[in-house]
Amino acid sequence: MPPIDCEDQELLDGFLAETTELLEKLDDDLIALEKASDDTDLMNRIFRSIHTIKGASSFLGFDLLVKVAHKTEDVLNRLRKGELVVNPEIMDVILEATDLVKLLVSDIKAGEIQERETEGTISKLLPFLTDTAVASPAAAAVPPPSSEPVSAPGDTASAPVTPRAAEPATAPDSSSAPPPAAPSVPATKPAADAAPKKAPAPPKPTDGKGDDLSDNTTVRVDVKRLDDLMNQVGELVLERNRMIQINQDLQQSDVNRTDFNEEFGKLTKRMSFVTSELQMQVLKMRMIPVEKVFKKFPRIVRSMSRDLGKEVELLIVGEETELDRSVVDEIGDPLIHLIRNAMDHGLETPEERLAAGKSRGGTLVLAAVHEGNQIIISIKDDGRGIDTERVGRKAIEKGLITEEQFAAMGQREVFDLLFLPGFSTKEKATDLSGRGVGMDVVKTNIKKLNGLIEIKSTKELGSEFILRLPLTLAIIQSLLVEVEGEIYSIPLSSVLETIRVDQRKFHLIGGQEVLKLRDIVLPLIRLQKVFNVQPRSEENDFCYVVVVGAAEKRMGLVVTRLVGQQEVAIKSLGNYLANIPGIAGSTILGDGRVALIIDPVAMSEVCE
Amino acid sequence: MQNALVPVKTDDTHNELIQLVSFNLDQEEYGVDVLKVREIIRMPIVTRVPNTPQYVEGVINLRGKVVPIICMRKKFGLIEPENDKQTRIMVMDMDGELMGFIVDAVSEVIRISGSEIQPSPAMVAGGIDQECIAGVINQADRLLVLLNLEKMFSRDEKNLFTGM
Repeated sequence: MPPIDCEDQELLDGFLAETTELLEKLDDDLIALEKASDDTDLMNRIFRSIHTIKGASSFLGFDLLVKVAHKTEDVLNRLRKGELVVNPEIMDVILEATDLVKLLVSDIKAGEIQERETEGTISKLLPFLTDTAVASPAAAAVPPPSSEPVSAPGDTASAPVTPRAAEPATAPDSSSAPPPAAPSVPATKPAADAAPKKAPAPPKPTDGKGDDLSDNTTVRVDVKRLDDLMNQVGELVLERNRMIQINQDLQQSDVNRTDFNEEFGKLTKRMSFVTSELQMQVLKMRMIPVEKVFKKFPRIVRSMSRDLGKEVELLIVGEETELDRSVVDEIGDPLIHLIRNAMDHGLETPEERLAAGKSRGGTLVLAAVHEGNQIIISIKDDGRGIDTERVGRKAIEKGLITEEQFAAMGQREVFDLLFLPGFSTKEKATDLSGRGVGMDVVKTNIKKLNGLIEIKSTKELGSEFILRLPLTLAIIQSLLVEVEGEIYSIPLSSVLETIRVDQRKFHLIGGQEVLKLRDIVLPLIRLQKVFNVQPRSEENDFCYVVVVGAAEKRMGLVVTRLVGQQEVAIKSLGNYLANIPGIAGSTILGDGRVALIIDPVAMSEVCE
Repeated sequence: MQNALVPVKTDDTHNELIQLVSFNLDQEEYGVDVLKVREIIRMPIVTRVPNTPQYVEGVINLRGKVVPIICMRKKFGLIEPENDKQTRIMVMDMDGELMGFIVDAVSEVIRISGSEIQPSPAMVAGGIDQECIAGVINQADRLLVLLNLEKMFSRDEKNLFTGM
């Protein structure tokens, strides 16, 4: 028996699912509201959400939740009626209240209601509920009579009728000209001062698919997709019957060989068609829009920009890009770190920006696009860029490299230093950054996903961090290679190119074999040595080098022969063999044999 | 602590019948609990896994599942004969994970009562780890070594196994 005394478990589950969904949307909407305070639809939607939460929780008897939700609703109601004006202070409190609601809901979800301190938050909400609230710091912060239409009726609480009528009328007016709306959100956020770029995250209608990041055990699937899947399975069954039939005919040998060959050939084609369709369908079901991760960032950026006293506008592009849920779950953390870095290290304060001849507010662009079977996520800021000189100095100071090494380094190598654990250019660690952990986390997580990281940066103009990730983790494109008779598989996502070279062209630098490849010196790893494969007698001068990239590193794997490209399903090697260096897993080849999948990242570490 | 090596289970079910699968390994006969044995198969093609202890023969494809294979002879430090027609892989359930063990031959399923299990003599010859011997069964015409394969890999060994 769960400690929560609820008559109907189903009712409770429904409530939790609904509330979680509403809360996730709420965060997003609240941030959007701050930027577009006169959007009546948005306002009403927010109000409805919190109202629904309140209603449902009071029905189920969650008193704490009701209390918090109720007060929040009251404040929102006043905002809605125009008795209060949206400003950062009110938003702070409302967001805090929302967090509290989330906490309470998660308590309920965990099955244990705890006594939480709610008074603090509620008491912060209360000032906004008195009539004098308009004169509170909130209103005081509003600069002299702004041209903002909504705030005008709002200032005079005595005119409660007008706002409702005024709002719809003013909405189109001010949305077409955001700059005049800016003064209404003063000091910390003259919102979009850098020209009316695409307003962040225009609230989209909920499409209702897989809306719960917090609960990853269940998936919502479009019924149509499910129907399609059923059709595919039906076809598969037909093909199976056909196969049984052909087999029977063959057993009874009442078919001649050519007939059989032809029939079987046809069957094989249809089978492969149906299975690849099926594979696509199932893959699609596992896909969720990257929006799931992206939507928590406006909130983070907002609070960080307030903490740091920087003016930052976050633009999100391509949030509808879909990728596998397993990948979505993993990229949250690295992205948070990269965003933090951009906010803390990259972007300058308004004063510095003005001095550098830039606009006051910085821009942070978070973009996601598909490219082949990869997804590319980039975080781009227009801040001060990476100071290679400073990074180098710091690395020397910390004893990570020597003066000579630094002198010989190109820009790319210097950027690689950022990923070293413990590296930070910050003099002091703050809440936000400076412990030198962040980039290490980024690297580790991206590596886990078989992804690549690329850094582009120009001093004074900004930096861009580009993550290339595979779309899914379960089935990958891979390159099959032969190492002295043994077959191994290399994830194609990390393969950059393959070359056939004469072994005599290899150079030896300090015991490490390298290959001159255009303008770079590529360290080589002989798979035959790393995997202790018995060399076969035949000596061949020519061999193949597979150039792979892992996170920020590049290296060449020396193999005997390339076998081909194949789509393979990843199978785990089980607990006992889970941590074999250089091996990421295994797969089953067409002939039923097991081939091991090489982990290019771990490979680089094996050799260090 | 009269016989620490005998699993607690046999104490409770002293006279209950236990079913064992018996197999041969270099002249000797061994037995494992039948409930742990998933299936017994012939030698398929084994894919070698690099950088593992030498008794790890590799992995096989068992109807779409990849299962690690351990060579019992190597593990017990016995000489290794060529695989022949009798050679079998016993696929066992080890704490929820499948693992295959190569043995010389699988003979039969036998029933014994719990009381027949004796603690193993203090001095066990050869390289067999004391740990995984759960006891011996001394019948008039045969001597059977009862193995507890889950104990075969000590904690250290498991780490070594995975952390190499």
